[in-house]
Amino acid sequence: MPKLKLSLNLKPALFNTIFQSKLFCASKTRWVIHFLVFAGFTFLVFFHALDELTSFNLFQYYQPTLDPFQFLRNLAGFLVLTGCIGFLFRRLFKTRINRENKTKYKEIFSIILILLVIISGFMLETVKIISEPAFLEMVEDYSDLDEDTDLNALMTYWEKNYHVVFKEMLIITEDTLEKGRLLNDAYCLDCHSKIKSAFVSKTFAMHLGEIANSLNHYRADNWLYPIHYLLSFLMLICLPFSRFFHILMIPFASATHKMTSRHFQKETVSVHPATFAACTNCGICSEVCSVYPNFLITKNKQILPHSKIESAGKMIFSGHLNPEALNQLQLGNDECTMCNNCTDICPSGIDLQGLWKTLPQTLQKMGYPDNYTFVKDKALQERGKKQAGRTYELTRNLAGRVYSFENCVQCTICTNVCPVVAYAGNDNDMTPQQIMNLLRLGEKQMAAETRMVWNCLTCYLCQEHCPSEIKVADIILELRNISNQTAGRLKIMTATNKANKL
Amino acid sequence: MKLAYFPGCKIDFYLKDYDTSFKSLMEKLEVDLVQLPFNCCGYPARSTSFEVSVFSSIRNFALARKYNLDIITPCKCCFGQLKYASYQWRENKGLKQKMDCLLADENLFWDGKTKVKHLLSFLYNDIGVLEIKKKINHKLPEKKIVTQYGCHALRPFTITGFDNPHAPRIFEELINITGFKTVEWSKSTECCGNPIYETNKNLSLKILDSKLKAALESGADHICTACTHCQIQYNDLSFQKQCRKYNITPVLFTHILDAALGESRKNNQAKKGCRNLI
Repeated sequence: MPKLKLSLNLKPALFNTIFQSKLFCASKTRWVIHFLVFAGFTFLVFFHALDELTSFNLFQYYQPTLDPFQFLRNLAGFLVLTGCIGFLFRRLFKTRINRENKTKYKEIFSIILILLVIISGFMLETVKIISEPAFLEMVEDYSDLDEDTDLNALMTYWEKNYHVVFKEMLIITEDTLEKGRLLNDAYCLDCHSKIKSAFVSKTFAMHLGEIANSLNHYRADNWLYPIHYLLSFLMLICLPFSRFFHILMIPFASATHKMTSRHFQKETVSVHPATFAACTNCGICSEVCSVYPNFLITKNKQILPHSKIESAGKMIFSGHLNPEALNQLQLGNDECTMCNNCTDICPSGIDLQGLWKTLPQTLQKMGYPDNYTFVKDKALQERGKKQAGRTYELTRNLAGRVYSFENCVQCTICTNVCPVVAYAGNDNDMTPQQIMNLLRLGEKQMAAETRMVWNCLTCYLCQEHCPSEIKVADIILELRNISNQTAGRLKIMTATNKANKL
Repeated sequence: MKLAYFPGCKIDFYLKDYDTSFKSLMEKLEVDLVQLPFNCCGYPARSTSFEVSVFSSIRNFALARKYNLDIITPCKCCFGQLKYASYQWRENKGLKQKMDCLLADENLFWDGKTKVKHLLSFLYNDIGVLEIKKKINHKLPEKKIVTQYGCHALRPFTITGFDNPHAPRIFEELINITGFKTVEWSKSTECCGNPIYETNKNLSLKILDSKLKAALESGADHICTACTHCQIQYNDLSFQKQCRKYNITPVLFTHILDAALGESRKNNQAKKGCRNLI
């Protein structure tokens, strides 16, 4: 990895973290669903889970059962619930480009964990609403009712207005209700707002029917507490190991400075490897990738940014990649045209293009240099001979057909106009006309592995000037394709041999 | 007139200037540009796979055909590759069949009717030198300019049909109407060295160096380009020590013509580019 420099840019980080501005630009539907969950859950964490620290200090008369807190809590839970259902729906019924099932299950696990936390919360509220024992405890703690008639009156009022479920049948009359209302005003109203604001839990409570009594009997309100707590802590524990990690990493990734073209030209590109972890594997980058059609033909998944970043992360952090996968990664990264589309759109704010620029250096250290360096460093010609005789399936196959080069009269015009021959000096080995000669001798593989094939500028001067109308530049390009394939194969061979020796 | 704008991959990140000045120029010439979700033209993939490079181009053509638009591009490598691919698609029946199948997978089709134009060929053939000359309201000072044609648009001529590959003149004619004077030089049609910049930087810079030397000998003040890759290569001058000694700056053709057509009020960035020239 290149040297690490950390300079943070806070404004886009805040903007992207709080409003998910980049996701909004990328896809409106995804933003709506994501924001529902984000907004709801953030509210719940700060004003409900941490209420000892926040709400009690901020609001003088705070009670969880008072409006507007009761209503807002229900609303937030409802938003998260709808968002999660949207998440699940999209994961189950929408197919995205080249997503592995493993990532899908990982995400579904996280979504279900959120759902469980929210549903257990709602269930807890529901059983607290209907709980008779809880009601009686509260009466004992907060009122000084002595007579049974008073208690009866309050019970009738609460059964009717707060949906508490009592074991024994209560006789409701106008008088008792009125008395209950007065007692409610005196003792309860300070801490208990009308139940209709808890619109989700109230609906659950109204539809419990027969189960309500048995729930009261077994004190469901007492044992649902630890379940809700446990689930919440489980989520906290999973934070660094699951998809939830992006919550922490996205602010960081969005804050790091993006590389500009100036950095690229001065070759001072550095990207912090921790930004890898911010990737949520959403695949939006692959939808806008300039070289997506390359994937359609070569079927190399490592062309697509979202697969590439996953493999790159694996390679750098744990090194669990086999030679074949590393080679694919190198080839895939080679196809990148540096169009910056992925960095522009990435909702996590990762500087993807900077990453692609630094990746070759890391790959080189692991024994996977780019094909040009590989050809230059090692005498490919020596090894190539052993490999010769393999057939290549190409659509044109100019280099393999005699008619495409048999007319060459070795007039050296191509060599004379070639800028590579003119300026490369020792950096070059063959001239275009010599390559044609090699082809005529049947040494296709040898021709493919000359330096000339890799140095060619593809300026087509040779082809334009050739008096025999030989497609010199096209042939050289085709030889380069062949050379690319050979280099890939050889790299895998070397790496496997090395691994076997170890 | 309505055309699909094919910016090419590099322009957005490396050469935003070209993009803005191109758009402002087209606005002055009353050409509507439509931005489609194009992918790479396939030129970089030419060295790894012939099929991939052709398919990338054909997919772009199919996309433009869907909206019944012709393609205009400011990049000569994109232009050359698109022409090259459409030629191969026509000539090679097996290839055509395969491409058609792949397109059908994505609900696209191409019948070969989409045309591709480079900025220069569009100005010269579709709008006309005389027409542009009428619109010029700002004569530029008589600076000496040499032109960089760009290989992939010129050659192979039978495929691109851009201009005479040995003695092209479109570029000169278009520059001369602005007031700038073009100068003859020996390396007008030669490569700038950008295609092997990533792999063999040393050789790439040697070729650039030879070009600058030739330009200096002809007594020019600027090298004019109309190709993203060439301009990026010349821009690199300021970053490379060995090339700093030459007192020649590269200019984009769009900046020159934009300045000659009068300052644009809306586009600040393009305006800045124009002012640097005058």
